[in-house]
Amino acid sequence: MKERSYKANLLIEGMAKKLNRQMVGSLVACVHCGMCTESCHYVLTNPDDPTYAPAYKADRMRKIFKRHYDWTGRVFPWWVGAKSIFTDEELEELKDISFGKCTNCRRCSINCPMGVDFATFNRALRGLLVSVGVMPEGVAVVSKDQWEIGNQMGVLPEDYIDTLDWLSEEMQSEFDDETAVIPIDKLDADIVYTINPREVKYDPRTISDAAKIFHIAGENWTMPSEGWDMTNFGLFSGDDALGGAVAIRVYEKLKELRGKKLVISECGHGYRSTRCEGPNWAGIDQDFIMESSVFTMLNYIKEGKIKVDKSKNTGSYTFHDSCNNARSCGLYEEPRELLNLVVSDFREMYPNRNENYCCTGGGGAMSMSEYTSRRLKSAKVKADQLKATGANIVVTSCHNCVDGLTDLIKHYDLKMEVKQLVNLVANALVIPEKITAPEVPTVEIKKAPLAGRKILVVDDEPDILVFFKSVLEDNGAIVFEASNGEDAISIALKEKPELMTLDINMPGKDGGWVFENLRRNPEIASTKVCIITGRPELRRLIYDRPVPMPEGYLDKPVDPDTLLFNVRKILEVG
Amino acid sequence: MSESLHFAEHRLQEIALLVMACVYAIRIFWLTRYKAGRDRQMPTGPPDTNKKKGILYSLMNIMMPWAMESTRKHFIIYSQFIVFHLGVTFAILMSFLIPYAPDTMKPVWVIYLFQVVIGAAFIVGIFRIIRRFSKKVMRAISTPDDYFSLILITTWFLTAFLSVPNKPENGETIMIIYFWLTAFFLIYVPFSKISHYLYYPFTRYYLGRTMGHRGVFPLRGSRQSK
Repeated sequence: MKERSYKANLLIEGMAKKLNRQMVGSLVACVHCGMCTESCHYVLTNPDDPTYAPAYKADRMRKIFKRHYDWTGRVFPWWVGAKSIFTDEELEELKDISFGKCTNCRRCSINCPMGVDFATFNRALRGLLVSVGVMPEGVAVVSKDQWEIGNQMGVLPEDYIDTLDWLSEEMQSEFDDETAVIPIDKLDADIVYTINPREVKYDPRTISDAAKIFHIAGENWTMPSEGWDMTNFGLFSGDDALGGAVAIRVYEKLKELRGKKLVISECGHGYRSTRCEGPNWAGIDQDFIMESSVFTMLNYIKEGKIKVDKSKNTGSYTFHDSCNNARSCGLYEEPRELLNLVVSDFREMYPNRNENYCCTGGGGAMSMSEYTSRRLKSAKVKADQLKATGANIVVTSCHNCVDGLTDLIKHYDLKMEVKQLVNLVANALVIPEKITAPEVPTVEIKKAPLAGRKILVVDDEPDILVFFKSVLEDNGAIVFEASNGEDAISIALKEKPELMTLDINMPGKDGGWVFENLRRNPEIASTKVCIITGRPELRRLIYDRPVPMPEGYLDKPVDPDTLLFNVRKILEVG
Repeated sequence: MSESLHFAEHRLQEIALLVMACVYAIRIFWLTRYKAGRDRQMPTGPPDTNKKKGILYSLMNIMMPWAMESTRKHFIIYSQFIVFHLGVTFAILMSFLIPYAPDTMKPVWVIYLFQVVIGAAFIVGIFRIIRRFSKKVMRAISTPDDYFSLILITTWFLTAFLSVPNKPENGETIMIIYFWLTAFFLIYVPFSKISHYLYYPFTRYYLGRTMGHRGVFPLRGSRQSK
């Protein structure tokens, strides 16, 4: 008899705990009619490869289920396609299918005549693989961060608070109003606003945009100092325990602050996890109100709490429905209603709403760099969809989609921009007389905010060096370049830059080596570091080192605004 | 009528039905032993959607080819599905009418009706066999049971088509084959993919309940093109 590996055994045993009636129904009901095939964006871009077909992918788990839990498969395994797993290599194959060939977008589920919900049991399969330690490295890193640090991007508490304080100062200065602040841990607020850590790390503007809207609406609101991350990697990893723990962390903080309503910023998976799945994972009944910030902003306009001038948002706009919002939470009309209130030229994308195609970066795909080429190939479907709208700005209510779309727009050279509703609402705000934002004071700051600041750019890719250098020099910085680890250290010792942007994956001495050497050398240890990498799974090369953490972190690709924004933030340039 | 045909029409069918009923009962018991997942969250989506509407929509979905992109874009396959399943219904109905209400099968229009429906289903069955063997993706997802079940039913359609006139005096062989195949079909169904209709209410009910609670069902607004 064939011997089964320890992990394979655990996975088979673990399956029993994952099965519920819905899942078993979906596992036994498939008739292999093939109707789901063309609903999948992976199939549409790989028409000759049947291994992308949803039914084929679903059968990988179905085979194991039938072999061990369904007596037809136990008695006639070959006849009904039942098959067990024995080796760790087979687990790796399952990982490749479950994580690398499906974004759990649920498009096949709504196109199955039998009502087989493949996305649900694919998530369960991911959970089983994670339970035996078989997962893409990016999934392991992000899950670890969310378990240990409390948010999925490893944002430290002091960085989070610093960012909010900094944004508060900016807002006070913009409105010339001491009360224009982001309240933290305020008790009895009507709204407790939770966000995606991506907003802190890469896009603090979305936080300040939301803050402006709350301020002008005269809202009694707050942001929590803990339990502020409404995203939940448990959704992507299939780990219900993580899902429940993260959701409870958010719910408990709301209760501790005696908040009346939890408002979730624009994030598809965050909204689904916190609003729709969290209570189920946590095993508690929802007893307080939760809503997407899309509803909040829409209601402000409808109730006259804020006024908007749509002429401020020029350009042509289309809307991309996030899978988690539209296909798992029924959120698709309100974003359109809101968008139509803040822009003049809206062009619908086809198909849309429940039938829209995935941004192709969903299901955690953006954190699994080993599947990037596969993901970008499948993004052709989305690229064609975007192009057909003729719009130059795509709006979405999801941070994951922002990243996924930005990446594919760059890859397919679409000349489009991605925005969120909060950006457009904030931009269209008609600011009442008493809190009119003054003009930005000095021309010099606008033109050269980094004037005289020394920055060392370290990257082995010549294109990246040129790109970073030109963006930073255009803003007044004095830029030095290094294309390998040794040069980076010697230039740092010679020029004493204030900031080093550091790539991790370089031939020879990698970013980890540079970082540790920098931190351990008293001459240059105080140099601020912003890690900029296309391999997020390698973050451990930096963060596992016993030296003080870097001051910033960015995932490639980086657009000029994000780069500049983060550099200014690290150097504390207003 | 010979004793062989009488046995095939009556006792054999009764035994087969009994076996099928028992196995079905066991299957349903097995499925319901698994606990159903709950939706603990408050409802989401448009205010005019709810669990009940979602369930109803989900169960009726199969009769709304415009509702799903898969059936909208592949209307021919959807039509084949309708004809095929009508054929199954008529062929099963006939296995009861011939032994227990033979007079209903006497009018010529009834004979024509049954032959047209079952004949069309047979042709669809042939198309389906060709599709399953010829398309790469269909081969990749098919099990021996998928092929066998399809060939079994298509063959059964042919024998049903030839048995519709119900004239044993012109030769009993084809009728005996039809009734034996019916009995085999009844016994085999619970062990095969053909039992999907047993699970259909479960999968669609629970999907509809969840999607209705979340305002996703009824699906709305999406269209493939302007």
